[in-house]
Amino acid sequence: MNNKATLAALALAVGAAWSFQAAAQVKPETLVKQRQAAMTLQGKYFGPIGAMVQGKMPWDAAVVARNAGYLESLAKMPWDGFQPSTADVKDTDAKPEIYKEQAKFKSMYEKFEGNASKLAVAAKGGDQNAIKAAFGEVGKDCKGCHDDFKVKR
Amino acid sequence: MDPSLRTVKIWDLPVRLFHWTLVLLLGFLFWSGKTGGNAMEFHLYAGYLVLALVIFRVLWGFLGSTFARFSGFLAGPARTLAFARRLASRGAAHVAGHNPLGGWMVVVMLASLLVQAGTGLFANDDIAIEGPLFALVSKATSDRLSGIHVWNFNLLLVLAGLHVAAVLFHVLVKKENLVAAMFSGERRLDDPAACAASAPGVRFVSPWWALGLFLLALAVVILIVKRPF
Repeated sequence: MNNKATLAALALAVGAAWSFQAAAQVKPETLVKQRQAAMTLQGKYFGPIGAMVQGKMPWDAAVVARNAGYLESLAKMPWDGFQPSTADVKDTDAKPEIYKEQAKFKSMYEKFEGNASKLAVAAKGGDQNAIKAAFGEVGKDCKGCHDDFKVKR
Repeated sequence: MDPSLRTVKIWDLPVRLFHWTLVLLLGFLFWSGKTGGNAMEFHLYAGYLVLALVIFRVLWGFLGSTFARFSGFLAGPARTLAFARRLASRGAAHVAGHNPLGGWMVVVMLASLLVQAGTGLFANDDIAIEGPLFALVSKATSDRLSGIHVWNFNLLLVLAGLHVAAVLFHVLVKKENLVAAMFSGERRLDDPAACAASAPGVRFVSPWWALGLFLLALAVVILIVKRPF
């Protein structure tokens, strides 16, 4: 190995280590913003499916399938943002109970992730009744967790 | 049967139907409101029905049968206090319809129900359902009204609990079977003369009038919800 290559490898290793450290030191305020962004987008893509299964919007199978697909990914995104370090951030509706009852919180969001996946499968299948049923289960998961872990205003 | 006991009709059919329909609807609204998901669609429909029932009951409180009228059962503070003191003594209460305390409970419960249904119209659950008037207010206002919707429901639970406790007190301690009376409409009174004095000139208005008023109330609610204008 020549000197140049060694130097490059070293620089890469230092860079990688530095960026890992940077990731570990994301500010609590940023974590809150990121998880809120994920939640907001969940609402963005879940809402129209609701309007369609409730007959408030004309049915569009392509939009349902696309939105449910997005939701399946978004459903996994907020949770690693609920770090105990964010418990002191003011601008959040997350209850401190999240950090005291982490096992319960985890089981709830995992159930939600599972049901969001089922909704995505149903949405690809196209059967409106199946989609509506799967939609309802996801809605219940949203509500169950909000009731326990989200501040009411 | 004790000949001094006389059976007297108190609650007309509209009042009884109003009462028990409300009980069933509130049970369903409680369940669906706690569960969420697809039940929420029916939560809204049940809420519209409650709003129509409450509007009807207010109208019936002015236009209905004697024992359904606010003027018949709303007592001033002095009479209400006097009644409350008398309550501790033994024997029946000697009031044919709503007693003064029960009368005020009717008004408080109707007011709370009105707040509940009214805030529900503007509410949102931050998930996938909104009240029919959500579009008329800002998200922040809707959030505040949704908060009241949750808070006031707990108040309703307390009121319903007090109501049931008071009825049980009358059934068990005062030996007045108010539950049966709300089914049959009739009560056995051990002092009809005293009761007649508390409600002179008893008159029953036709249930068809009540049906008309309820349909009117329902039409008003449908107009509020659908906003065709």
